[in-house]
Amino acid sequence: MTTELPYLESLQATLNAQQAAFEMHQAMNIEVFYWWCTAIMVMIHAGFLAYEMGASRSKNALAAGVKNILALAVIIPTFYLFGWWIYNAFPTGIIPVDASAALPWAQSMGPDVKDMGTGIFWAAFALFGATTGSILSGAVIERIRVSAFLMLTIVLGSGIWILAGAWGWHPDGWMLTEFGYHDVGASGVVHAIAGFFTLGVLINLGPRVGKFINGVPQKIQAHNLPMTLIGLMMIIFGFFGFLGGCIIFNGGETGWTTIYNTPTNLSAFAFNTLMGFAGGVIGCYMATRDPFWTMSGGLVGIISVAAGLDLYDPGLAFMIATGVSFIAVGAAKQLEKLGIDDAVGAVSVHGVTGVIAVILVGVFASGTPNMDGNPAISLYGQALCAFVMALLGFASGYLVSYVLKKFDLLRVPANVEDFGLDEVEVLAHPYPENVPAKNTHSTNAITKGA
Amino acid sequence: MGTSITSWENVTAYFTFADNPVALVLFSLGVAGIVAGLIHFIVKHEKKAFEHHK
Repeated sequence: MTTELPYLESLQATLNAQQAAFEMHQAMNIEVFYWWCTAIMVMIHAGFLAYEMGASRSKNALAAGVKNILALAVIIPTFYLFGWWIYNAFPTGIIPVDASAALPWAQSMGPDVKDMGTGIFWAAFALFGATTGSILSGAVIERIRVSAFLMLTIVLGSGIWILAGAWGWHPDGWMLTEFGYHDVGASGVVHAIAGFFTLGVLINLGPRVGKFINGVPQKIQAHNLPMTLIGLMMIIFGFFGFLGGCIIFNGGETGWTTIYNTPTNLSAFAFNTLMGFAGGVIGCYMATRDPFWTMSGGLVGIISVAAGLDLYDPGLAFMIATGVSFIAVGAAKQLEKLGIDDAVGAVSVHGVTGVIAVILVGVFASGTPNMDGNPAISLYGQALCAFVMALLGFASGYLVSYVLKKFDLLRVPANVEDFGLDEVEVLAHPYPENVPAKNTHSTNAITKGA
Repeated sequence: MGTSITSWENVTAYFTFADNPVALVLFSLGVAGIVAGLIHFIVKHEKKAFEHHK
């Protein structure tokens, strides 16, 4: 007996030490997972950069690119200042709850040995926000002022989408607690919001000069379609970081869960992400045979199944993606007939597809239970929340762009649009060997003036 | 001068000025100022560039 007790105590101490080491490594694994998800998400922005520059005419290629780079640069600090706070403060609606730990001067909003979660989740969410900015960015190319775009992208990327995120993603979000809202891959809280925000902006911004002649839509050719296609494929790559960032890596015995605390795993996401991608490409190819839309179909396909990524049978995901692709192409054509110049189809690819994706979860997965006493998934709840997402995005985009328009801050002058934004604003040429030497002088003059 | 810790024992938030809320608020205002300044700078640049190409 006398020798056994010290032995048991020693064994207990060893077990405790091993448990502490295991928990530390588990916490580190969680950090590592989201770190790389965030890094991969940066590829979304590299993709949007290439895609928008390629989709522009050569006279506007760099302006489109600079606008996109600056969007990332302003969303990150503003999301630090108030975006993360909005997510934590507004789950119950528009009355804030205490979220002082998410304010930029809180100790958890900086290097903290005891907090291995806040920074890495903040980073992933900041990149989600930047994605919304990039969705807007492509649609408004070749005529929006960079300054106006940056103001709009801050409102969207650090404000509106994360308010929707608080409602539809937060554990206490009213959409979840009241209606059992299910949107694991952000079809609604990112894509529908950004797509309909973009529609609101496009109405006030108006079409590019020459897009409609006597009301008849004209095709404005991308100056580098191959670059656009490669950019779109880069976005698809980045989606794996984006969707990985949407799953919750839990400590303890729980393992993976959705953001709603329901069981899932990366295998479920893998099946349906890839099947959605493939279905979308096939659908858009069949609907258009257009290279740009064929590649955009990959986005449509993934977004169309993202809300129910954890729930769908892969075959169903494939068919949903194929079917929604036809709707997205049809929506883009209808918008054009209505006089909306969406240069890259963002409203239909992200907005229309995002809304349909949320509703389809209600169609195919109605009755699926939620956790923590929240209501089951229902068609009514999904449809209502999809409508709220679209309305929130559209109303905010329309109102802010309307104010900018009233102050003549939204759009570049007609002669500048005709001249090309690169020559006037950017102080550089994308293909300088095509520019006569005399233009160098005028560029330098503006540089000095600025 | 900005460090908030004097020892690594039981340390939590260890970044510069972590124990000084006034400094942290000032840094936040600085971040906001730089973003606002960027947009102001671009508005001015656009105005000049557009006038130059009238």
